[in-house]
Amino acid sequence: MLRRKAAIVGLGGIGLLVFVAVTAPWIAPYEPAAQDLANVLAPPVWDGGDWAYPLGTDALGRDVLSRMIYGARSSVLISACAMLIGATLGLVTGLIAGFFGGLADTLIMRLGDVQLALPFILIAIVILGMMTERSPVHLIVVLGIPAWIVYARVVRARTLAEREQDYVRAAETIGARPLRRMLRYVLPQVRSVMPAIALIDLSHLVVMESTLSFLGFGLTSPHVSWGQILADGRQNMVVSPWLPVLPGVAIMLTVLCINLAVEGMRAQVEPRRRWWSTRWRRLGPRETQPGASALSATSAGPATASTPSAVSVPGDVLLDVRGLCVEFPAADGRVVQAVRGVSFTVGRGKILGIVGESGSGKSVTSYALLRLLSAPGRVSAGSAVFDGVDLLGVPERSMRRIRGRRIGMIFQNPVGSLNPVLTVGYQMVEAIRTHRDIDRRTAVEISDRVFRDVGFADPAHVMKQYPFRLSGGQNQRVMIAMTMAIEPELLLADEPTTALDVTTQAQVLDQLRRVRDEHGTSIVIISHDIGLIGEISDDVVVMYAGEVCESGPTEQVLREPRHPYTQALLESVPRPETGVTSLLRSIPGELPDPAQESTGCPFAPRCTSAMDVCRTHRPQPLTVSPAWTAACHLYTEERTEATRR
Amino acid sequence: MTPILELDDVRKHYSVGGGFARRGASVRAVDGVSLRLERGETLGLVGESGCGKSTLARTLVLLEKPDSGEVRFDGRPVSVTDAATLRRGVQIVFQDPYTSLPPHMKVRRIIAEPLMIHRIASGAELRARVDGLIADVGLPAAVADKLPGQLSGGQRQRVSIARALALEPSLLIADESVSALDVSVQAQILNLLNGLRERHGLTLLFVSHDIGVVTYVSQRIAVMYLGKIVEMGPAADVYGQPMHPYTRALMAAVPSLERRGRERIVVRGDPPDPKHPPPGCAFHPRCPMAQDLCRAESPPVLEWLPGRHVACHFALGGESYGRSTE
Amino acid sequence: MLLYIVRRTAQMLVVVLCVVTLVFLLLRLAAGDPARLMNAPDAPDDVVEATRVRLGLDEPIYVQYLYFLRDLFGGDLGQSFQGGYSVAQVVFAALPNTAMLAAVTVLVSTLVALALGIGAALTRGSWLDRAVQVYVAFAQSIPSFWLAVVLVLIFAVQLGWLPAVDFTGPTSFVLPVTTMAVALTPILIRTIRQSFIETLEQDYIRAARARGIAQRKVLLVHTLKVASLPLVTLIGLQSGMILAGSYVVENIFNWPGIGKLAVDALTSRNFPMVQGAVLVAAVAFVLVNFVVDLLYTTLDPRIRLRRAS
Repeated sequence: MLRRKAAIVGLGGIGLLVFVAVTAPWIAPYEPAAQDLANVLAPPVWDGGDWAYPLGTDALGRDVLSRMIYGARSSVLISACAMLIGATLGLVTGLIAGFFGGLADTLIMRLGDVQLALPFILIAIVILGMMTERSPVHLIVVLGIPAWIVYARVVRARTLAEREQDYVRAAETIGARPLRRMLRYVLPQVRSVMPAIALIDLSHLVVMESTLSFLGFGLTSPHVSWGQILADGRQNMVVSPWLPVLPGVAIMLTVLCINLAVEGMRAQVEPRRRWWSTRWRRLGPRETQPGASALSATSAGPATASTPSAVSVPGDVLLDVRGLCVEFPAADGRVVQAVRGVSFTVGRGKILGIVGESGSGKSVTSYALLRLLSAPGRVSAGSAVFDGVDLLGVPERSMRRIRGRRIGMIFQNPVGSLNPVLTVGYQMVEAIRTHRDIDRRTAVEISDRVFRDVGFADPAHVMKQYPFRLSGGQNQRVMIAMTMAIEPELLLADEPTTALDVTTQAQVLDQLRRVRDEHGTSIVIISHDIGLIGEISDDVVVMYAGEVCESGPTEQVLREPRHPYTQALLESVPRPETGVTSLLRSIPGELPDPAQESTGCPFAPRCTSAMDVCRTHRPQPLTVSPAWTAACHLYTEERTEATRR
Repeated sequence: MTPILELDDVRKHYSVGGGFARRGASVRAVDGVSLRLERGETLGLVGESGCGKSTLARTLVLLEKPDSGEVRFDGRPVSVTDAATLRRGVQIVFQDPYTSLPPHMKVRRIIAEPLMIHRIASGAELRARVDGLIADVGLPAAVADKLPGQLSGGQRQRVSIARALALEPSLLIADESVSALDVSVQAQILNLLNGLRERHGLTLLFVSHDIGVVTYVSQRIAVMYLGKIVEMGPAADVYGQPMHPYTRALMAAVPSLERRGRERIVVRGDPPDPKHPPPGCAFHPRCPMAQDLCRAESPPVLEWLPGRHVACHFALGGESYGRSTE
Repeated sequence: MLLYIVRRTAQMLVVVLCVVTLVFLLLRLAAGDPARLMNAPDAPDDVVEATRVRLGLDEPIYVQYLYFLRDLFGGDLGQSFQGGYSVAQVVFAALPNTAMLAAVTVLVSTLVALALGIGAALTRGSWLDRAVQVYVAFAQSIPSFWLAVVLVLIFAVQLGWLPAVDFTGPTSFVLPVTTMAVALTPILIRTIRQSFIETLEQDYIRAARARGIAQRKVLLVHTLKVASLPLVTLIGLQSGMILAGSYVVENIFNWPGIGKLAVDALTSRNFPMVQGAVLVAAVAFVLVNFVVDLLYTTLDPRIRLRRAS
């Protein structure tokens, strides 16, 4: 909002300036060169001067106001024309260089390199300095032509990026010729970068023009320029300090207006945030969150029958998550509920799989547990008790001792999970020594061992590498090795194999299984792949639109799914056995918009067995068998029976 | 009847690096691929990233020019057929629904573009045809005036398909067209493609890394590894009884509930660097049954059983073809 | 890596040759006959002719160019029209003054920009961030020459706290360096703030925090090492601006550097001196960019390793 106001002020200022420039001959009270030798160095009105010369006169008795107005005319004319020349040259050359590449690109960009390698401002000064007469045309040419390279570079980079996009390739496959592809497809995407660069260039040009005039290499008489007025005024600075100040203020306001306009054009709105602020504002239990109300951190006493933990012996439970809600305030003031009252438990030495499609809130859940949500996301309700510690409540300082040391995490993008400018060895040793009080050498020995464990034949070599030199699978194995070296009690693995090829994925899954088998680590594995979850996990949580549909022992849940979503999810995975003749079960419709609030079951709009009640009332998790729950109205009757028994 | 598409020893190499140090280093993206597509069938092309399957797909829609070998479309070499005819005959649907549509064009315009470029229709007829295509791919008529940014991933992929169908191609290439979609939406698109194939008598080349998806939609499948086809045959046969150790590994690696707790054959290591492919059979460093012969000689593609083409010295497990091992 | 340095050096030499040629041509073509310029305007033709022969100006232009290159190689930049000094001596006497001014400016600006940029990035949306943004908006709008004049007006003329002109000791640095730093810091601050914010959003920062690495270490090692890389390039790119800034600042503060030398020489049409000053400044600019490029290459392993292979 503030930005928009600033942009309006900026654009208004620019408009006013242009108006003054265009109408200068009519609005200026005097000719800029007209002298009144009887009124030399007259002060401005606020300093005791009279209204004949509102801004006073200079040493030759010329009206400062008129000169300022004509100065604006020169400034606008020169800067705008120079900008247009530079922008046009730059757009054309950049587009050609980027789109066609090859020889044209080489020639254009080499020329640009040479120009950028020269201090062009000096050359401009020399060129202008050697002329005796300098008109606006001279300045426009000298200032405008060199600016092309700024535009050309940006346009070329954008064009190169766009050219590689599939939509341009698609245009080629439907038969669009190069010129059509360049002008109809690439140009509309590329030209959006122009206004911002042009405005920045404009502000540079305004300053350059006046600087040259100030140094005495700008416009010569009879042309007037702000820089010139300032330079003249500087001679009489002590007697009439307003003389140098006024043109300076004019230049500054002009540039400021332009910059405000640029700022306003920057589309991204940065949310207010402090990146380290991970203290959770815990809001009160939300009325609208069924299940969440009874599950705040303090009421962990008698577990409700609806959560699997009801049947677990407390000592076996490593992590107990209850009624977790995560919300993201959106830019437009709405609040997106990403996770809505999620409960699950992880047993010691067990692998829990969380499965769901995009937008189901499964990754957000894992980030929330380690308090690594990106701002402005926040936990709004729920608790997460890890071995007696309330993860969402402990101070950040204690949290840091839990992260990595007691709860490890591996991410979807293995290459991006390691710092690109630090070696694998550095990061490994750093991680180990953060959590274990040992010297470097011991840390290196440990690294060596765990790297061998995850199948690196030459750990010393791997340690010296930067992450981007290793493949995705190798990076993920480094992440697993890191986990093995620190031996956390719980490992959160967020889509650990999604970025990997199947054969590599199989290796990584085997490694994860070994971490559990050999170190007794509990694992939460998050994936969109129900097959993967089915193969590796002991227990499964199926999520849809931020809620748990069904949870329980994997073997049972996936063999005889109760929730229609779980059923549909299992059936929409192509099974080669059935062959092409059968129609694949597909879930009609699209994934729900997380910003859309609904009172009923989130799956109701796509559910084939939806009833009226599904659209109005949110289903509660119902016990199918001990440890197995499904949140679906279809089983309301069964639940009633079960309770009666 | 002539096959709709024939590839004869097609090769595409990229030179990489440049500079003084390693001049001439090249990636053999497609390294001698021969195959044929019969009219109306669906051939699945499966392989892991970097195996060359996408490059091959792009070669077929003239986005890449093969270095050697011959591609025949409808019995005529592509090199002597004019581009417009080929483009009307072969169309492609790309992987990423978010980048494959021009963001600044409305859906109506996107689908109309091919018809305008080839001057097939204009005015009211153009409008009618675009509306027809939108309905054909199961989109509501209202999307015509939306920008791609306002559509979901699944809807965008339908727009891509409509654009490809506008030219009424006889061969449609789906290059990982469902890989970026969520499972529930993926199933919709797979069903749509199958339906369109039946309704329009399309031939489909279905490229994917997911052997499950490929086997589901295809009558025949071809498995690629490091630029070469290592196994090709009827989908049910290849799936039921894979003959190449890589195909076996690929299938064993797919996680599933059925495989719970069972021991699996896991291939070691990563796929080799395509810049420096290993000598002999490219798969030998990861192959559990590699022998000296595999390290020395690249196995030819042979029809070991009727309709089953395999590039492995030991496709039948025992004796190598035509020679014995010690 | 060595290969890259060799290639980059060759490139740099080509650019330097371009600069030299450009300056030579510019002055020969635009400035007119040096022989006439060297003598008094009313000097008789035979005197001018004698000068012309003495300087070798009667030779064809490419021969003159070769002479010029030969002299240049021997460190001879010719003789000043006024006073007959050796241009090389004057220019090299002025160079350290400009270099010192530029070095202090870059140092001060970088430190200020790092502090403000990182501070703003870490407290996005806070009063500090907003104050920094306002500073950036104003600082980049103020023309250097005007700021210099106003600073002199306030601190030297009105208050008399600081010396206005000439080099009289460390306090002489305050006003010129302030002027130039105000021009340089906005873009540095913006870049640091932006690159810090972008780096903090990277997966590997989140991963480092997930590993329990101390916040201080995440910021100073993991983030700063990546986020400060653009700063290096930027300073190289801005060295042209610093050079131009020194033209303005040196003239206002009467600082005996290359910028003042060049402007004075241009005003008095002392072309050999202009040539010498521009040449030295241009070569310095090219050298700085060369060093920055090498620095960047060593700092960023991604680029180092790509260039090594």
